[in-house]
Amino acid sequence: MVAFPVPLRRRRERAVAEGQALITTADWHRPAVRWGIGSAQLLLLVGLVIVGLGPLLWLAKSAITPTTDTITHPMSLFPHGAAWSNLREAWSNVNVGRYFWNTIVIAFGSWLSQIVVATTAGFALSVLRPKYARILTALLLTTLFVPLVVLLVPLYVEIVHPPLIHHSFIDSYWAVWLPAGASAFNVVLMQRFFDNLPREIFEAARIDGAGPFRLFWSVVLPMSKPILGVVSVFAVLASWKDFLWPLLVITNPDRQPLSVRLPTIQSQTELGIFLAAMFIACLVPIAGFLIFQRSFLRGPGLSGAIKG
Amino acid sequence: MTAIEFQGVSKIFPDGTRAVDGLDLAIAEGEFMVFVGPSGCGKTTALRMVAGLEEISEGAILIGDRVVNEISPKERDIAMVFQNYALYPHMTVAENLAFGLKLRKVSKKEIRNRVQSAAAILGLEDYLERKPGALSGGQRQRVAMGRAIVREPRAYLMDEPLSNLDAKLRVQMRAEIQSLQRTLGVTTIYVTHDQTEAMTMGDRIAVMRDGTLQQVDTPERVYQWPANEFVAGFIGSPAMNMVDARLTRANGELEVSFGDSTLVVDDGLIVERPALLSYEGAHVTLGIRPEDLEDQSFAPEARPGQRLDTVCTLREALGSEVLVHFPVGSARFVARIDPQTAAREGEPLRLVVDTRRLHFFEPGSGLAIYDQAGTVGDRWPASRLSPASASST
Repeated sequence: MVAFPVPLRRRRERAVAEGQALITTADWHRPAVRWGIGSAQLLLLVGLVIVGLGPLLWLAKSAITPTTDTITHPMSLFPHGAAWSNLREAWSNVNVGRYFWNTIVIAFGSWLSQIVVATTAGFALSVLRPKYARILTALLLTTLFVPLVVLLVPLYVEIVHPPLIHHSFIDSYWAVWLPAGASAFNVVLMQRFFDNLPREIFEAARIDGAGPFRLFWSVVLPMSKPILGVVSVFAVLASWKDFLWPLLVITNPDRQPLSVRLPTIQSQTELGIFLAAMFIACLVPIAGFLIFQRSFLRGPGLSGAIKG
Repeated sequence: MTAIEFQGVSKIFPDGTRAVDGLDLAIAEGEFMVFVGPSGCGKTTALRMVAGLEEISEGAILIGDRVVNEISPKERDIAMVFQNYALYPHMTVAENLAFGLKLRKVSKKEIRNRVQSAAAILGLEDYLERKPGALSGGQRQRVAMGRAIVREPRAYLMDEPLSNLDAKLRVQMRAEIQSLQRTLGVTTIYVTHDQTEAMTMGDRIAVMRDGTLQQVDTPERVYQWPANEFVAGFIGSPAMNMVDARLTRANGELEVSFGDSTLVVDDGLIVERPALLSYEGAHVTLGIRPEDLEDQSFAPEARPGQRLDTVCTLREALGSEVLVHFPVGSARFVARIDPQTAAREGEPLRLVVDTRRLHFFEPGSGLAIYDQAGTVGDRWPASRLSPASASST
């Protein structure tokens, strides 16, 4: 008999109770179903772990393995001990620490720019609903169909010769932050979330005396934590791994992020140290996911707001 | 003094629907006015126009002596209780109550005092630090009420505030809201589709249908003197029985015949509704309330002209009373009779009708027949627009 872990069993029972399960509790009592589906689930789980977690674990192992061991015995587990010095050398000698900081600055700025634009635009289109909101939404949606590559040249020209300012943004982080904010996907995501917030709450706030800014800051934003988490994760991850645009607009190596610097330094760096640098680069997205996963997998968190 | 007044108010939605059509109504200071009607009758739209949440297409709304058509909700000095509570889920009960005051720049001390006193009135003192998610339905409803109370507004607007509560809690909250309104003396417009709530809570009730006002008067008068067939059928539970009938005169008495039955119209009723005489020989719609019927065994003194012989088709025992269903011509009637009745399904049943309380309506227009032929009398319109007459009744 396959012994399922308790949470899995409980989750299955809940799914059956809520009518979401294709296989009922009675079906699970049949040995053929229990063994067949149970084994398939187990195999799938093992497969997913190997495919998903395997490369990360291999990278972690290689980051602290001497280069010679990685080359001669790639599949062995520390045949001649661990080389923790790889991490230290990557951080100080290869200057990963600096690129790491650059990446954080770029990611933070891009995140802020995306959050500000997405929340304010989503709020305007969904809650304030001006007369032309539908046209604006349609225009926004059409931009989703334009491939990013097509925009590279006009965007580059705009960064070199920005309108009104007449001062090139090249080699400045603004060159990454400002275009990051112009994300139609985030605006649409935010707008859809705001559309689903109970309108009675906005009306109650208006009667309580809240103007548009107060409504946005004190009512809508605190109720939007889940979607803010989602947009934040998307924004930070996208910025962390973005290669092409920072390569084009930030030419000074001292200001470049990890995603741009790592491929450049590969040829001049020892493999073990390079892999350690890669591992350091991966840490933030992994940590970010672990911290935020609950916030964006959770429900909308409106319990008690309204009775439907 | 008039607190809120509708002057020919209409709401026309972009698709052309007239949700409210030419509403004229004056609500007195401190009055508890209930808007009642079936779904889609325009009662909530009318309320939302007072709140400033819907634009007014035609006419004007006055709060006090100020036309508020162009005034924003926050400047109207009203507080609204929503059907779904609409509490701020991320704020505690105390913060929910204080939010409106904070935005109005009331001092912290004053806010604390008002929140405490509202919490004391509503029994929420122990829950002030909880978030709405940790409260029961009844408690959330109280917080929604509290949010209105702390503001000390000119008027409360309540949009079906009890419809999400279970039956027992609804009865309890109904009484609480009523006594609260009496204590605070704040003008209140209360929207409901539940005629029991309307009857029990309102100083006056305004019955609406398809965007138009059908009748506005005290609950007792709306029940006893319905303006038309719709009001007669809507107010009262079970609904008034209606049947096509004919008024004739036989042996000097006015009789009303329907199906195989004939009743003698009480002389007192003719005095009250002289217009009936002009319908002699004409068809009318007869209305009999279920509570105006009784098993003959409990009214042995009834005259033959009050009797109705029929067959019981369904018997619903409710403990304190029995509802008996029976056919009358092509219509189905319901009688609310004594629980000790011997009436059984499929067996003959002799009922007695209180012929002093019959209702008559003109078949085409559906208007009740009272004083003048073809028109409703002045018994209810007298108080229709004037709040002053409501307080005198």
